[in-house]
Amino acid sequence: MLALQAIGAAAQRLAYAVGLYPLMMSKVLGRLHKPPWFFSLIIRQCEMVGVQSLPVVLLTAVFTGMVLALQSWVAFHRFGAESMIATVVSLSMLRELGPVLVGLMVAGRVGASFAAELGTMRVSEQIDALWTLSTDPVRYLVMPRILAATLMMPMLVMLADAIGMAGGYFISVHALDQNPHTYMTHSYDYLELMDLYSGLLKAMVFGAIIGLVSCAEGYYCEGGAAGVGKATTRAVVVSAMSILIADYILTAWIFK
Amino acid sequence: MNPSTKISLRGVHKSFKGRKVLDDISLDILPGESHIVIGLSGAGKSVLLKCILGLIKPDSGTILINGENWFSLPIDERLKRMACVGVLFQGAALFDSMPVWENVAFVLRRQGMSKPEARDRADEMLDLVGLPGIGDKMPAELSGGMKKRVGMARTICHKPEIIFYDEPLAGLDPVMSDVITTLMKRLHERMNVTSLTIAHSMKLVREFSDRVSMLYEGRVYQQMSRDEIDQCQDPVFKQFIEGRADGPIQLTDHGHDKEAT
Repeated sequence: MLALQAIGAAAQRLAYAVGLYPLMMSKVLGRLHKPPWFFSLIIRQCEMVGVQSLPVVLLTAVFTGMVLALQSWVAFHRFGAESMIATVVSLSMLRELGPVLVGLMVAGRVGASFAAELGTMRVSEQIDALWTLSTDPVRYLVMPRILAATLMMPMLVMLADAIGMAGGYFISVHALDQNPHTYMTHSYDYLELMDLYSGLLKAMVFGAIIGLVSCAEGYYCEGGAAGVGKATTRAVVVSAMSILIADYILTAWIFK
Repeated sequence: MNPSTKISLRGVHKSFKGRKVLDDISLDILPGESHIVIGLSGAGKSVLLKCILGLIKPDSGTILINGENWFSLPIDERLKRMACVGVLFQGAALFDSMPVWENVAFVLRRQGMSKPEARDRADEMLDLVGLPGIGDKMPAELSGGMKKRVGMARTICHKPEIIFYDEPLAGLDPVMSDVITTLMKRLHERMNVTSLTIAHSMKLVREFSDRVSMLYEGRVYQQMSRDEIDQCQDPVFKQFIEGRADGPIQLTDHGHDKEAT
């Protein structure tokens, strides 16, 4: 009986947690078509999500590109196909590593920040205060953050792709003695525009996931400081897991 | 339902996880009245306030403000109606990310008032609450009492018809409590507003209320005018206003009040 109760309680908690995201999404979608849109807040959030994430994203990208070049060389060297390193680096960055790694880094940095900020506002009654000051908290707090994350993720991914490829070029040419001209040619010759677009589409979806999950966790946070801590952790973990799941679904769909 | 009431509640119920917090609450607040709701911690006072403000939806019952059921309106209409309301939250609930003057003039800026005009109005309000020249400070730089007064300035900046105070004296020293009480009285007289206050402080009840309601076990247990407080012989009410541990009200291990059998 106790076991059944525990299972029931766990199922209830899971249903509640999972229900938060569709609930928040329905609130956001129901408001998208009507003003006010708070453009100045969207721009401020874009700066926070985009510009302030640049150092961590670019650092991740450059080292990923460098490691990828080294690892590819080990494999290709065994059957004399070192010239294909460039293609592997550029394809991997554009199609997979750029969006996923940037998504995970942004989930950690921005997702935690969204959840903690909104959670603190919730437990200190600032969200309630917004309502009493004739301002819809979903429009004022949640929508600018979700929009900013959705818009800025593709920008970050484009930069990360470029820097990652530059990192691969640097290692291949300066450490592995590859011909620079051949490397550049192989970087672009086997690429298709679809490789870039699919990565950018993934980036947009990941941005929306990070914004939605983190804002929902913060907005519906309860339980004081401990509650804010739990909401922040959940925001990062659920965002990261959702990114990996969405990545598989999108990859399977795009390259079917 | 009396059409001349400013706020009217009928049969309001609210439960959380099977525990009844509000049980058939009916209450009328008249225009220009200062009504104070008292009760033990956990009696449902703040939940009642949140239900009236539309922050929590009651399970059943009707809440009318100015004769209208705001819950039946679309969100945008409800938000427009909120312009006639001012709320002083227990912890002031100032927005950390903006300076004091922007907090105070928040509604005015949202209503489209220009920045210089809103700043002037915010400074005027800060003068009124005895905090001149702090407009550029951030909320984190203020003491608890100052935050409360800034919250008060924000509450009255857009000239509301109804003011809600949630535990306005909580966490304040006696001197600051007196400052806030005097301020509340002054504003009530000067602006001729209707006010509903959630409070524990009997000093505030005696100085600021026209009528007082006591919430107990989720219900409006007693309701009387300020002058009737000392004549009331109900043992639960007496124990509460005298602040005694011994009496019919007992606290359980879970912190919920319970009448002794």
